[in-house]
Amino acid sequence: MATNDTYKKSVEAAIANPKLSKALHLFGDAYLIARENAYRGLDFEAMRTELAAIKDEVRVRRKELLAEFIQNAEAAGSKVFIAKDTKEANDYVINLAKQKGARHIAKSKSMVSEEAHLNKALEAHGIKASETDLGEWIIQLAGQRPSHMVMPAIHMFKEEVAELFTKECGTRLTPEIKTLVDHARLRLRKEYFNADIGLTGANFLVANTGGIGLVTNEGNARLCATLPKVHVVFAGIHKLVRNIEDAIKITRLLPRNATGQLLTSYITWIRGAVPVNGEQKEQHIVLIDGGREALYESKVCQNALRCIQCGACANVCPVYQTVGGHVFGSIYISAIGIILTAFYEGLDKAKEITRACIGCRSCVAVCPSKIDLEEIILHLRNEVTKDFGMGVVKNVAFKAVMKNRGLFHSMVRAASKLQGPITHKNRSDSERRIIRHLPLHFMDRDFTEWRDLPSIAPKSFRDQFDSIPQQVTNPQYRVGFFVGCGADFVYPEVGVSMIKVLNSLNVEVVFPKSQNCCGIPALYAGDTETGVDLAKQSVQAFTDAKVDYILCICPTCTMAIKRDFVDRLADHPQWSAKAMALSSKTMDASAFMENILGASAKLKAMGTGKAVTYHDSCHLKRGSNVWKEPRALLLASGHDIKEMKNSDRCCGFGGTYSFLSHPQISRQITKDKVETIQDTGVKTVATDCPGCMIMLKGAVGKADETIRCVHTMELLAEALDKTK
Amino acid sequence: MTDNITERFIEAAKRVGAEVLRMNTLQDAVTYIKDTAKGNTLVPETSLVKRHHLRALLSEAGADVFTGKFRNAGELPGAGITFCNFCLADTGTVVLDSTDEEMRLATTLPEMHFILVDPTKILRDNLAAVEPMTAFHQGNEPKFIAYITGPSRTADIERVLTIGCHGPREVHILLVAGISSDLMEN
Ligand code: SF4
Ligand code: SF4
Repeated sequence: MATNDTYKKSVEAAIANPKLSKALHLFGDAYLIARENAYRGLDFEAMRTELAAIKDEVRVRRKELLAEFIQNAEAAGSKVFIAKDTKEANDYVINLAKQKGARHIAKSKSMVSEEAHLNKALEAHGIKASETDLGEWIIQLAGQRPSHMVMPAIHMFKEEVAELFTKECGTRLTPEIKTLVDHARLRLRKEYFNADIGLTGANFLVANTGGIGLVTNEGNARLCATLPKVHVVFAGIHKLVRNIEDAIKITRLLPRNATGQLLTSYITWIRGAVPVNGEQKEQHIVLIDGGREALYESKVCQNALRCIQCGACANVCPVYQTVGGHVFGSIYISAIGIILTAFYEGLDKAKEITRACIGCRSCVAVCPSKIDLEEIILHLRNEVTKDFGMGVVKNVAFKAVMKNRGLFHSMVRAASKLQGPITHKNRSDSERRIIRHLPLHFMDRDFTEWRDLPSIAPKSFRDQFDSIPQQVTNPQYRVGFFVGCGADFVYPEVGVSMIKVLNSLNVEVVFPKSQNCCGIPALYAGDTETGVDLAKQSVQAFTDAKVDYILCICPTCTMAIKRDFVDRLADHPQWSAKAMALSSKTMDASAFMENILGASAKLKAMGTGKAVTYHDSCHLKRGSNVWKEPRALLLASGHDIKEMKNSDRCCGFGGTYSFLSHPQISRQITKDKVETIQDTGVKTVATDCPGCMIMLKGAVGKADETIRCVHTMELLAEALDKTK
Repeated sequence: MTDNITERFIEAAKRVGAEVLRMNTLQDAVTYIKDTAKGNTLVPETSLVKRHHLRALLSEAGADVFTGKFRNAGELPGAGITFCNFCLADTGTVVLDSTDEEMRLATTLPEMHFILVDPTKILRDNLAAVEPMTAFHQGNEPKFIAYITGPSRTADIERVLTIGCHGPREVHILLVAGISSDLMEN
């Protein structure tokens, strides 16, 4: 990944190979179920809060705890060496091997040895390192690096493994998993017996005992620590815990979160120089800083060192599932990989993957160490922009995902499943909150500090559509509904309301499923190519649908179809002709109701007398010149409108992306808007834009929980319900 | 209460692929082992093994009890037989002080591992292990404590769970009352 170009190619190659992505999706789904079962009866939130507190205390007391660990380990006969970087660590092992005349090291899994490229360093000195963890051995034979922290060879298929084993042993092996595992069992057995040194990692370093802990499944670490005369422990300094109780608490979270196991097959606690073949073992503990101290010192990023390396942040990450760990990571992969790469290998190495995160926060929801990974990534992304400029790095992975409708929508679905644990429990459904979601992640900054962000709806509009009953006999019009991401994934109830109102006006609604995002966010981010692609997808979907009109409930989408698609597709004549044809039929739902159907005359019978105030969305009023229509509909349906001051002043959401890169300005604008709403004394604010709803629901909600923010369509549907 | 814990332990251990059987007497357990174990059988001389004359009982029953140093028992001996220090009911885990090297070899190398468990040694869950685990680490003697939860396993090829990677492929837990109630001995 030396250049942006190679990175781009690797993304494209990964996307072109759906086999891996499919496998990772299946794995991700199965993982979620296993994990849920593993935590049954336990309070994950409480457990991870406790773990975070333990790790934070360790961070604060790390110098003292390290000294305690060293003292206790030495008292039990271990030798402890602190390596300031991975080179020092490698050199220590090389010198030790030379001293002992050792030519052969049997290794169990150690991520920090990957970080140190230890095998290569040993090889340069004629020392052979044999990986004995099955996955690591496969990777070693293939000359690759791990693509997952817990399952290093997750990207490989059994046929490839059979090929590698066959090449190594000279006898043909069939690609059956059982056969392959049995082969590894027999073949690697002699490595432990022949090795002069056994090298393991450590999952924890227990300060008050001087012992280490290993959490494993295969049993190879136990053999590596038992058979050879010398045992080397290779571990990062952040593995320290205070005592056995801390360590046991980690073992309650780590296997559950890594693989959905209640406990791994083995947890091995080793302190000091245990007996070996009638003598005393030599145990060397190499503790590696390698950038960790700098990470501890970074106020914004330090929580990353709470990580217990469960790998869950990869399992649930839509980007990881799409492109795999070789693309979305370096030595460490996925969310935590982005952060560790930046600190251990340099920001330059991390610049592409920092941009590749789509901000869905799934990783944050599952992290057992309660690390706000996305927040840290966001911070690093800003650092990257500062250091390397905006345009240099393109968000290639995201781009590929947005263009692939199926992928995009299944990702949103996955994110919606996962956000559960982090959304607020006590709010009503329409006040769901917090998640930076798709495709709004283009907003590079977060403002949750002063306003809440909505969460993704449990069931998107597109997933609900087929079950919405439409009783329209002899419809006067068939209209196509362009839902837009906001109404699709965040406020599907708006679309449902619109259908109810239209049905009552004798209009049938069609929903072409192959429509995709309008592409405006991509364009704002400077990604024209994706914009063109998205426009084509939706133009095709609505051309095929053969409808009388196309309706939107998001004014930005209306503008996109009416104006933008035609411009965007100007270079492709047959496409622009199609776009033109659609343009003249496209309008906002309230404009259609009023101007085409004359709805306010028909709704006259209704009466609720409820007071509302109306916020004009920038794009609706200034983009489509629609502002009388929603008011007429609201009045006709029996609402009293109490106008706010400057009702057509921007709510701060942006409408234009530029506001979003100036959050302070945006914040001020929203504050003004909230005040003018409060000044009316009215408890309901209506608007016709999901974007404004996101902004207003969040900001108004924080200022005054009794004020409700709704889409005009919802109020109309409610009025209908009342009159029935 | 104890029985409830025992049931939970049995269920959890079975769920991770261990065989768990209740035995009426130590002799019944010995017969079961003799009938099930194949090949070199490693029985480390621990205090409980001595107290219960386990090696003699097994030899008399006809098991192939290995008499040399376990390093010489081959790369893949048939069976290892041990008592245990204590167990954890919530996860089906057996905890073994394995500081003695013969103990480690007998529980890592063989195809099968038979573990004799006195039900009074089953603790509620892994938090309850904090106390005995801390007790093990008093002073500064070298220590090697093993938690064993079912047979060795891997999912490293295509994420398919496969039993028997580098450790024992079979774990047989035999519950026998009255063999020991001291968590510190095995
Ligand atoms: S927030 Fe970023 S890193 Fe985390 S799961 Fe979503 S896309 Fe992946
Ligand atoms: S960051 Fe959290 S989820 Fe990711 S590997 Fe570390 S502990 Fe697991």
